[in-house]
Amino acid sequence: MDREGPRRTVSRHPLLLQIFLIYYGLGQIAPLRHSALWPFLREPYWCAILALALNTSAYTAEIIRGAVQAVPAHEIEAGRACGMSGFLLRRRIIWPIALRQGLAVYGSEAILMIKATSLASIITLTELTGIAHKLISSTYRVFEIFIVTGAIYLALTFLMSTAFALFERQLHAHHAHRRA
Amino acid sequence: MTPGMFDLLGFGPQGWGLPLLQAAGITISAALCGFLLGSVFGIGGATLKLARSPVLRLIGQAYTTIFRGVPEILVVYLFYFGGSVVLTTLLNTGGFPGFYSLPSFVMGVFAVGIVSGAYQAEVYRSAYLRLDRGQIEAGASCGMSKFLLLRRIIGPQTLRFALPALGNIWQSALKETSLLSVIGLTELLRQAGTAAGSTRQPLLFYAVAAAMFLVIGRMTGAVLGRMENHLAKPWRR
Amino acid sequence: MASVNRSVVAHNTPAVPAISVNDLHKRYGTVEVLKGIDFRAHDGEVVSILGASGSGKSTFLRCLNLLELPSAGRLQIFGEKVNLRPSGSNLRIGDRNQVDRLRTQVAMVFQNFCLWSHMTVLENLMEAPVHVQRRSRGQVRDEAEAMLKRVGLIDRAKAYPAQLSGGQQQRAAIARALVMKPRVLLFDEPTSALDPELVGEVLKVMRDLAAEGRTMLIVTHEMAFARDVSSRIVFLEQGRINAEGLPQELFRGGVSERFDQFIARFNQG
Repeated sequence: MDREGPRRTVSRHPLLLQIFLIYYGLGQIAPLRHSALWPFLREPYWCAILALALNTSAYTAEIIRGAVQAVPAHEIEAGRACGMSGFLLRRRIIWPIALRQGLAVYGSEAILMIKATSLASIITLTELTGIAHKLISSTYRVFEIFIVTGAIYLALTFLMSTAFALFERQLHAHHAHRRA
Repeated sequence: MTPGMFDLLGFGPQGWGLPLLQAAGITISAALCGFLLGSVFGIGGATLKLARSPVLRLIGQAYTTIFRGVPEILVVYLFYFGGSVVLTTLLNTGGFPGFYSLPSFVMGVFAVGIVSGAYQAEVYRSAYLRLDRGQIEAGASCGMSKFLLLRRIIGPQTLRFALPALGNIWQSALKETSLLSVIGLTELLRQAGTAAGSTRQPLLFYAVAAAMFLVIGRMTGAVLGRMENHLAKPWRR
Repeated sequence: MASVNRSVVAHNTPAVPAISVNDLHKRYGTVEVLKGIDFRAHDGEVVSILGASGSGKSTFLRCLNLLELPSAGRLQIFGEKVNLRPSGSNLRIGDRNQVDRLRTQVAMVFQNFCLWSHMTVLENLMEAPVHVQRRSRGQVRDEAEAMLKRVGLIDRAKAYPAQLSGGQQQRAAIARALVMKPRVLLFDEPTSALDPELVGEVLKVMRDLAAEGRTMLIVTHEMAFARDVSSRIVFLEQGRINAEGLPQELFRGGVSERFDQFIARFNQG
């Protein structure tokens, strides 16, 4: 029905807000400020990583659930009929099939993550977008900088989607004769 | 005495209630304008991608690839700074020296719109491809003009098929408006940041902003869900 | 022109034919589907167009409503020449308005019903009369309801196509064609997509229409129906009219060897 995969109901919060909440908000919690974690949580780098991980984990859980649910019942039954159960059934039948089902959706989530790293620039992390912003503010050569930075991001997302496509093809090697 | 939570969030002299609500209004209006502008770009993009001419198809493909592949924040910078560069250059050559910039709301809406449009183009395109050719032919066989076909048959059915995915894109547009805080638009996130800075209560205000985003998302989602349900009625047996 | 096996002499009716086709060709790339068709249908005639699949009969019917544009040839509808201008090796529509106007006069009933799925049955019926013919909504509604009563669907007026059986959908589609008050009805295999038990209800409606003296052109595989109801049979083979004539004479056999083979195959199958 909906071709966009499972709906992103989980994360209705803007990622930038989550980054701010972690970067500025956590410092307000005194016990945390005195804990061994503080050297990390003080750093924009680790805050950005934490925010990205939290942001994607909820959706990834959704992808996994959808993929496992999509495993055809008759394949599971066939596994049971061979005497498989429990961990063996999961490891040999359910998870491999689910991986093939969920991979494409997970690939687009990974691309979203690449784009999402750009927000770390707002909390002073000088990654790609951060550098682009600095260059724009100092030179005002907006279009040249956009083209170069955009091209780098496009190259990264292209590499990522190609990697996923290759991995998918590898997994679907047993279907190759059908396509031929 | 430091003010309590309810004073901070209330509508009193120390309260940030009213500014936050106003900011939420700006968030909603920026998202709505961006999304509607995105529909225009989206329909245009889908038309290009469905065009017979390979050149037009390539333009459409380039549009959706670029604006879906490049981070939204970069697009916001492109429009905000690019817009003022173009405007300044134009006015300077026209004999008005100085530096000019455009309102961040307008440029922000354009940025949200062009990104949203790239996603919407894909949705409209695949919805159009799902249409039953026979029904379009039936319209033509009754003497419907191209415009009438578009208005009475193709449009409503495409919208029906596109609506579930458009709901997701609306939620993205809503979230993207938070990026407009970086170009100085006082939307929800920026207002929360201002409040957090002046009260030294970032946890509270960002949590409140998060809750407000959630409520806006849920409420608009419910409205869209209702529309979807209504438009899906003819297809239920 | 290739010789046509005729069982009766061509019409001597002096009136202007409802549809008149001269030397109609249709090519898709290098494949020629119609290889020069000459055809005439007069008011009140019920013509069944028979032929094996691939004989070009559907393409021919679709050319009459201009859903397919002929590659060459002339087409007259009620004596009015359809304005087609050459473009490369094909023809293109010369006057859109003329085509849109003529199409409401030559209504089409499709194999797959093709009711508009986002509209109720009643809305389907009212669509073209209100928006194409610009007739008054109230009057059209009365006529549409009367038409639904005729085809036995008045109690389903507010239903959507997805909620109807195939037979009901096809009856609704016939009603939709009728509300435009067309002068000719084209049927493109109207019962081929139906479950066997639903064919009868659609054929009954068509039988009634034929008895009323409507002008109908029917592409069909229902041989019994074609034999009993049509005033004339046209048999297409490989893009040409192979035989043409009164049903009783053609079905008696001996007019065209090909037609006899076609019928024989049909009776076996």
